[in-house]
Amino acid sequence: MVEGAQTRIESPGEGRERLLARVSRASLFKGSVAVLGALAGAAVGGAELAASAGSGGSAATDREILTYGLLIERLQAAFYAAALAGGQLTGEARQFAQVVGADEQAHVSYLSAALGSSAGASPRFRFGDSATDPAKFIATAISLEETGLGVYNGQAISLTPKTLAAAARVVSVEARHAAWARAIAGKDPAPVAVDVPITVAQAKQTFKPFIVA
Amino acid sequence: MPESDPVFLKVDDFDVDGAVREAFERMPQHTRSGFLGRAAAAGAAALGVVAAWPDLASAQPQSSDTKILNFALTLEYLQASFYTEAEQIGALRGALAHQAHVVGMHERAHVKAFKQLLGPAAIKEPTFNFHGVTENPDAFRSTAVAFEDLATAAYKEQAPLIKSKSYLAGALAIHSVEARHAAWIRRLAGFLPAAHAFDDPLSDAKVVQIVNSTHFVTLRDPQTSMKAKPRFTG
Repeated sequence: MVEGAQTRIESPGEGRERLLARVSRASLFKGSVAVLGALAGAAVGGAELAASAGSGGSAATDREILTYGLLIERLQAAFYAAALAGGQLTGEARQFAQVVGADEQAHVSYLSAALGSSAGASPRFRFGDSATDPAKFIATAISLEETGLGVYNGQAISLTPKTLAAAARVVSVEARHAAWARAIAGKDPAPVAVDVPITVAQAKQTFKPFIVA
Repeated sequence: MPESDPVFLKVDDFDVDGAVREAFERMPQHTRSGFLGRAAAAGAAALGVVAAWPDLASAQPQSSDTKILNFALTLEYLQASFYTEAEQIGALRGALAHQAHVVGMHERAHVKAFKQLLGPAAIKEPTFNFHGVTENPDAFRSTAVAFEDLATAAYKEQAPLIKSKSYLAGALAIHSVEARHAAWIRRLAGFLPAAHAFDDPLSDAKVVQIVNSTHFVTLRDPQTSMKAKPRFTG
């Protein structure tokens, strides 16, 4: 389904695709040592945003990570709202947009409440036909959900335990969204045995085309 | 799935407790009584089953991370054994057979990873008896939904308790894969893959209680049993 569109949308993440393929091969055919190697690499990659923080985490680091999480949730909520407003989705894709859009809106409220006055205003987003064209919608949804999940997984190790527990309630829901979107596109919902984190730098490349200001 | 054929997945939530109860009730009567008979012969059934779990409150000199990893390993043993058996029996077809094949590979990879991490401290694999659930596509589907939602909730509870950053990174990377598995099988069962905006954690005590209610865990490795003290003795 629309491989061309998906390749274009996911092109900033080509490194991730290679990494996924590597971990997949490692986890399936080379056993535990390779899986652990991949996990160790993943942990290193995830330290990026909180590089200046101590190993125990801090309130400042928590806030920094949740602020980026809020941007992701706002972007996703806006994407599904735009997709539904376009009125062209039908069947399971439409149900997906409705259910997942409501989830993302709930996540926006949850993170906004956690951040309080430091939440700040949302940027404006522009999705064009990536949201409204049924052929492009699912490919874009997969890209946004996989990227959001990958960032959460990478950053979560730097959170304080209490904030990690709160964030984890959102993370697995993002994983369910990613899996569901993949299923609708006819792809395996869980392509690898361990999910590989995505760096914030990679995520910014994926999100950049959709952020106006 | 054709766009012209709207699919409306059930909005009702999946009842994990109900599913495992149903799976047990679905067992052929002779299997059930046979199992209970064997368990009774082996001693108190409840004690035998509970003893199959790593003792999370053990006074043994193992770190809290080791206990958590062994708890995770036990859940992975359970799932890997379930999918492997279902695939070997071969009663599943189509999308369900593919799900069992791929998810089974993942769960076996998780088992290997935890065993490698734990080394000699790794708990031995218990003996499982799935009582025919792996031979019946409907029972398999319900049980798989229950297992995957349960595993997701179990990892979510344990992850913030992990002290080592590298173990934590590994647990998180598996936590979200279990959530993908849950979404996958829920969709095949006709349920919303993401039924709620937030997934809640589940305590290890509650997870053990739910799994024990299935009577799938029948015997702990004798060597490991020797080291564990019974949980229900005064």
